[in-house]
Amino acid sequence: MRAFEYFTATDSRHAVALLAEHAPARVLAGGTDLLADLKSSPSHAPKTVVDISRASDMRKIELNERGLCIGALVTHTEIMDSKLIAGLFPALIDAAHTIGAVQTRNLGTLAGNLVTAVPSVDSGPTLVALDAQVVIAGVNGNRQIALAEFFVGPRKTALQPDELLVEIVIPKENLDKPAHFLKFGLRKGQALALVNAASSLRIDAKKNTCRDVRIVLGAVAPTVVRAHSAEKFLEGRAATPENFAEAGRRAVDDVRPISDMRASAEYRKDLVAVLAKRTLEGACALARASKQKGVRK
Amino acid sequence: MTDVTLKINGETRSASVPPETTLLKMLRENFNLTGAKLGCDVGDCGACTVIVDGMSVNSCLMLAGQLDGREVLTIEGLATHDRLHPIQKCYEDCGSLQCGFCGPGMIMSSKALLDTNPNPSVAQIRDALAGNLCRCTGYTKMIEAVQESAKVLRGTPARRAAKANG
Repeated sequence: MRAFEYFTATDSRHAVALLAEHAPARVLAGGTDLLADLKSSPSHAPKTVVDISRASDMRKIELNERGLCIGALVTHTEIMDSKLIAGLFPALIDAAHTIGAVQTRNLGTLAGNLVTAVPSVDSGPTLVALDAQVVIAGVNGNRQIALAEFFVGPRKTALQPDELLVEIVIPKENLDKPAHFLKFGLRKGQALALVNAASSLRIDAKKNTCRDVRIVLGAVAPTVVRAHSAEKFLEGRAATPENFAEAGRRAVDDVRPISDMRASAEYRKDLVAVLAKRTLEGACALARASKQKGVRK
Repeated sequence: MTDVTLKINGETRSASVPPETTLLKMLRENFNLTGAKLGCDVGDCGACTVIVDGMSVNSCLMLAGQLDGREVLTIEGLATHDRLHPIQKCYEDCGSLQCGFCGPGMIMSSKALLDTNPNPSVAQIRDALAGNLCRCTGYTKMIEAVQESAKVLRGTPARRAAKANG
């Protein structure tokens, strides 16, 4: 690694002040992406690194009037161990579990995964499917945008150089929304997704129809993308295996995968149809299970 | 320079290092603890695995400065002067290692698992070792070694020990 100046931030406000003072600086949170990048691409070497890994705030997972709030420094392991998240969104735990291996999950943070913004970002699809918002801190205060808008391109986000992603919020109206995540990689451990997918929906119990459908796909476009035409097809239609399969087929038209060393574009399109269908089935099964639980009560 | 004071294997140590120094480099070059190995240097191979405040991490992916005030356990902290740690003994008894380069990392990942989960399933062991690559073996004997270690550490007589005692 090339030499750089190193500052340790005591909290998010301090971090933002340091970023403004030393821009352009790089932020060190978990370090699993940053240090690998600095070592393999010396040209990315920053003049300054601002270490937020021991900032006192940004570590909480909490439920409040805004919804489920996850601090930027919460690690993938902490997500997997959270009883609160297990009760609300098991899909988030499934997604965290597919990231790297134990050592990288112990260090790597949710916000770091989002900020790196690779097209295959495993934390992305489920959060987008749940309409997650991100809170961004700057010297002039905080702003909040949809995570879907935060991803701008491969490794590009809406963050300004002196801004910091401080919190991820799943809005309270979606706290009961069933979601399901799946990833297809070449191995079980330490594999990038060929395709990852998450769906969320609500089922109208009387009519057995779908609404508020979200089908979100990763690694098949420059950013995580919603399959809008597939969502539109399923909205208001019956929750049947045939309709889920048709939505999966339509999702293929919503993506633009590339061929690379891991898989061809054609293969990724096949995976899109299958994973979209299966995540819809998974979300639907969760919806029915929670209805039954409700009835039993 | 960055000043770091931390506990390594129970002992308080200090160093003054350039900010871009990784934990791995500091362990090996400042403290002469060469058990953790430099393999890929980007967090794929796990040869540099150590335990920081109870969690297994890749020491190549932490800056030394992040360790100020924290506690690190390396492979050198497991054995006493005349006795291997039970996990090391089980790796030896099961013939789990060939060239041995991955061994320290593999054993530290095993320790981190068994510290929090004294009776892991095979699936849990595989998951815990997924970040440690071995290019000699087929991993099977490492999984056996972790199962044996679990038994020893729980106090039930290990299969091999029981056999040896007739």
